[in-house]
Amino acid sequence: MIIPALKKTYKGQIALDYPGTEIPDGSIVAICGINGCGKSTLAKILAGIVMPDDGRTPDLGMKVGYLTQAPLAFKMSVRNNLLQNSDRALSKEENKIRADELIRAVGIEALAGKNAQKLSGGETARMALARLLMKKYDLLILDEPTAAVDVKSVELAEKMILNYHNDTGCTVILVTHSASQAERLADRIIYLGEQPWERSLNENNLDRT
Amino acid sequence: MLTSLGEAINLIFSGDHILYQIIGVTLRMTFLSSLLALLIGVPIGSWLGSARFKGRKVLVVINRAFMGLPPVVCGLFCYLLFSGVGPLRGLHLLYTVAGMVIAQILLLTPVSIGMQETYVNGISPKILETTKGLGIGRGKALLLTINESRYQIISIFLFLFGRAMAEVGAVSIVGGAIMFKTNVMTTAIMNYTSMGDFKTALALGVVLLIIGLVVNIIVGLFQWKADR
Repeated sequence: MIIPALKKTYKGQIALDYPGTEIPDGSIVAICGINGCGKSTLAKILAGIVMPDDGRTPDLGMKVGYLTQAPLAFKMSVRNNLLQNSDRALSKEENKIRADELIRAVGIEALAGKNAQKLSGGETARMALARLLMKKYDLLILDEPTAAVDVKSVELAEKMILNYHNDTGCTVILVTHSASQAERLADRIIYLGEQPWERSLNENNLDRT
Repeated sequence: MLTSLGEAINLIFSGDHILYQIIGVTLRMTFLSSLLALLIGVPIGSWLGSARFKGRKVLVVINRAFMGLPPVVCGLFCYLLFSGVGPLRGLHLLYTVAGMVIAQILLLTPVSIGMQETYVNGISPKILETTKGLGIGRGKALLLTINESRYQIISIFLFLFGRAMAEVGAVSIVGGAIMFKTNVMTTAIMNYTSMGDFKTALALGVVLLIIGLVVNIIVGLFQWKADR
């Protein structure tokens, strides 16, 4: 997968000036960097949410799933939130079973029938991750999926991301502030800044089980 | 004044069939027109508030101009459409409740669109980011947007209801304030006042005020619930 050179300016201020790179299909790439370096802007451009300066959304030729930094919980129950992203390849019953599995996997089974807009920030983040993982995507872009989540739930979320990656073989782009999380999950880390650079990680060190 | 007010309240509870008939026509016309204006305006307002295309702002400005359309101008326009020389004369809508409902829809739909557009414009960036991120199609995203604004939609309906009930210019021109047919509370108040029957006029005014008060209390409750 090729990420083209991308530039984005807001009112004359450069938010992102990325030279572009190639990512092996099926890998997990972490994007790190200080605040304001353009991590989320890069993720949003790749997801087609934000238009780069040249006005052309990069055509990645993939089915992209994107989890925003501040996800919205729809005004309905947690379970129905997940079912809004049902997989068309599955039956209604299968989708319900999958939704319940994912709800259990993120540890919010006690909240399944609760109005999702009454959840805490961390619970909403977990629900949003589970909702995204209802469908199969070729590319998963996760913008700080565990930023508002407690330590125990970070483990659950990371395990879910790895399981999904193993099951589907999708490529994952993970925007994170946590260097340790990047090293735990990613095959490669891209550091954004004035001069972006990349580092490949030894896959043998990664615990993917 | 106070004596007239007391007599008016007595009249409300006296079972006066003329008074109740006027209230019935008013409620029927008001409910129908506000419901239809809501059903037309909400999808358009939701789309206008969430879509991003060239010319969107021009459409918003045009709609806002129509929100301020004087009722008498709207009434005149409908009169010309429905009258014996108008293109829609064959529908026989002049001096009918159906004609009044159409005039009210023309007045209320821009209000419905404008209120929904303003609300959705505020919440749509987050909804769009979420639905686009999930790969949800535009149609379903629009339905989710409408679902997110359901308290707002109830508030819009009650606002339209209140406004339709208090309207006098368009309905008097199109309806003609015909007794037992198209006479609604506002036009009846005008007629009874000009005839010197202040007791009935005041009774209708009191009913109008009570309904307006109830509607506003309900709007307030929904807004309070939506803010929580």
